[in-house]
Amino acid sequence: MSPRPVRVAGAVGIGAAAAALAVYPLLSHNAYHQNVLLLAFLLAVMASSWNIISGYAGYVSLGHSVFLGIGAYAVAITGEHLTVSPFWLTPVGAVAAALSALVLGAVIMRTRGHSFVIITIAFLFLMQLVALNWSSLTGGSGGATLPLPRWSLDWVYTPFYYALLVLLALSMLLSWWIRRTKFGTGLIAIREDENKAAAIGITTPVYKVLAFVASAVLIGAAGGIYGYFLNFFEPRGMFNILTSVEIVLAVLLGGRATIWGPVLGAFALQGIKEATNVYLGGSEAHLVVFGVLMGLVVLFMPRGVLPTVSGWVERRQTAGVAVPSIEVRARPAPASLEARAATNGHGGGRRALLEVKGARKSFGGISAVDGCSLSVQEGTITALIGPNGSGKTTLFNLIDGTMRADAGEIWFDGRQIDGQRPWVRAHAGIGRTFQITRLFHQMTVLENVVAPLRSFSWRQLAADAVSGPEAARAEELLDFVGMGKFGGVRAAALSYGQQKLVELAQVLMLDSKLIMLDEPAGGINPTLIEHMAEMIRELNRQGKTFLIVEHNMPLVLGLCDPVLVLARGSCICSGTPSEVQADPRVLDAYLGEDFRLEQPAGVP
Amino acid sequence: MTELVQTIVLGLLIGGVYALAASGLTLIFGVMNVINVAHGAFLILAAYVTFAVWTRTGIDPLVFALATTPAMFALGWLVYKLLVSRIAGAPASMSVLLTFAFALVIEGILGLVYKGVFRAMTPSYFDESFHLGGLFFPKAQVYAAALAVGLLVLLYLVLTRTWLGRAIRASAQNPSGARLVGVDPGAVAALTFALGIATTGAAGSAIGVLYPFFPAAHYAWISRLLGIIVLGGMGSLPGALVGAMLLGVAETTTSTYFSVRWATAVPYVLILVVLLLRPHGLFGERVREDVVTA
Repeated sequence: MSPRPVRVAGAVGIGAAAAALAVYPLLSHNAYHQNVLLLAFLLAVMASSWNIISGYAGYVSLGHSVFLGIGAYAVAITGEHLTVSPFWLTPVGAVAAALSALVLGAVIMRTRGHSFVIITIAFLFLMQLVALNWSSLTGGSGGATLPLPRWSLDWVYTPFYYALLVLLALSMLLSWWIRRTKFGTGLIAIREDENKAAAIGITTPVYKVLAFVASAVLIGAAGGIYGYFLNFFEPRGMFNILTSVEIVLAVLLGGRATIWGPVLGAFALQGIKEATNVYLGGSEAHLVVFGVLMGLVVLFMPRGVLPTVSGWVERRQTAGVAVPSIEVRARPAPASLEARAATNGHGGGRRALLEVKGARKSFGGISAVDGCSLSVQEGTITALIGPNGSGKTTLFNLIDGTMRADAGEIWFDGRQIDGQRPWVRAHAGIGRTFQITRLFHQMTVLENVVAPLRSFSWRQLAADAVSGPEAARAEELLDFVGMGKFGGVRAAALSYGQQKLVELAQVLMLDSKLIMLDEPAGGINPTLIEHMAEMIRELNRQGKTFLIVEHNMPLVLGLCDPVLVLARGSCICSGTPSEVQADPRVLDAYLGEDFRLEQPAGVP
Repeated sequence: MTELVQTIVLGLLIGGVYALAASGLTLIFGVMNVINVAHGAFLILAAYVTFAVWTRTGIDPLVFALATTPAMFALGWLVYKLLVSRIAGAPASMSVLLTFAFALVIEGILGLVYKGVFRAMTPSYFDESFHLGGLFFPKAQVYAAALAVGLLVLLYLVLTRTWLGRAIRASAQNPSGARLVGVDPGAVAALTFALGIATTGAAGSAIGVLYPFFPAAHYAWISRLLGIIVLGGMGSLPGALVGAMLLGVAETTTSTYFSVRWATAVPYVLILVVLLLRPHGLFGERVREDVVTA
């Protein structure tokens, strides 16, 4: 957070700029200036919208100008049959863009990374071709026309100016609102680590499709106004890849995933465009300038101006601030956990909380999990051990739904879950940590801990990202793991052991019935290991069931009962720690068959 | 029937040139996980260079391909060393933006020099054909396809018979493993990128004879090439060959039996359909996403 005087000065500056833009057309009738400004507003609307899907959610779309074209054509086509002012049809453009984003999003959100980029470009060009070829509807290359404005020539651009200024305010409001809701943090979680987001209960497809729609709707509205402003347009100009380039460039310049970055970037870029027009002339020079600018930004300032500057400020402010330390001491588990454990409890009678029946998963020719069957009894701390490559982590992935099993069944809490998606399993009560910690690095520790979701509801999407009771619970959990002083620290700044503790608190926030820990003691110091073991015991006393993968044998043998042994993808034996230690199959699995050859002569 | 065979033959002939250009794109993606969006722009650049030489000296464009290929190799190496190497390891979307930026610069410069008008190269044989059993084989397409096949064979030999080829394939399959056995990933990446761009040299010279071109034509070409490698499976060379043939035939049949205007839509539809139904394409491998590489 910036210091208070800076924020006040910022708010005053922004207010003054907004007021100046609002009264400007009343003071001056300079059509050229109004023209430049309204084009900057248009670009800012698009950049701000694009930022929702590509900045927050991290899905880079290079064909986003398609929604401008869809909005413009929707308004032009409906306008042919109506005699109202095209301004009244702006919602038609918005709805058309939102609907096409919904349909396209529902299918393309199954793809990730490079596939997504390629599809967005392909969709833009495809729409351009459709508009060119379906001339009975769109006028083809002959173009589409909207009626000429009927107002006085003195005000030639002013109505467009105000319409786009209103849209700009709306788009910033939308961007700001999304950023402070659960929906917004969910999108950032998806950007940072999509699989992890799903594992902590975030219904990723709904988030992504909604973000795509939110990023299209105001561009569609702007398309209607822009079309009216142009009066005449044709497919190559409306479905133009260069407009997409301008959008991307504006956001990259200003700063991705910020609220002001896209807007500032858009104004800067519009200024650069005008300067190129005046001093270099022609669209070819534009291309070179845009290309060079984009190359420079990608190479030297990929985060954009605003985040880079705020990074400096943050560093100057945090320099010299004492680093808090972990508080390693036993404390009771938070009361909120007890409450849920008590309602989950089924008295003394033990039952299998998790059952894996004949699970199989192979990668190419390698069977990582090969007919594995095991069960975890409610209320136990069950260990899962086995040599490297025996399939432990893959089994975790099958149980939490990160991967689908090729064959076999998985039952949890009396329900078959193997066909369900990860977030459904998280909602059902399975939580896990990862072998190599996977926190959302750009979020603070507190934001990380409140990110998990125990269920999905539409209302929850609009809820505040960090609400009072939730924050209190998260702080309670952070206190419990000994990280209470770290709430405001960025996750990326934590040490590995600290990250392990925060990841535990994150899983506790889900309040799962079954907590799966993948090497909780891996890579952390002995004091912390003891602290970890103590916390696991305490949580277990409160009714939590654990399934733990661990290579630290003293820890496993002292903490867990029963112990399951996995070798070559199947569970070869299970029992109390002492039974497992004595089992020859276990020695065989760990040490190989040669081991017996070295036994003293005379022993069979 | 003859019409169908003729359509397929023309599709396969043009598919040969597509295959050459697409092989470079898929090679670059397979080895360094970079989608070179500037591939189409490099093609058009090579076409313009060939055009400039052809109009001044009359050197046959397809013969001049022997010069554009090494020239584009050198340009590719430079671009990698100066630009692409700086974002090694960044998300794929960053490489898309960077190469897109490069494409814009090439398009802009070509526009400044040659203006946005259509150009075409018309060597003496451009409207002549071979005739065989009721079918015709346009000479330019036959020569271009022969050139493309020859260079593809050469590329195949480099990749399978030389140390560089083994190093490239090793880097593609397991970068850290390749580093362990003494392959310098930076040098291999630079040579791979150069090799990939080199394919746009000959392909660009050939395209300049087969199609009219203008600076912004690179969008249509990159879409076509992306369609091919998406269909074949991104990163797969055999996939690029098969994908190129299929796209060539799909385009010629669409223009013969449906509409010339919609033939240009084939690559876009192909990209959308393939990525949605079979995202790893015909020959692509499903990668194991869970293993974290440090």
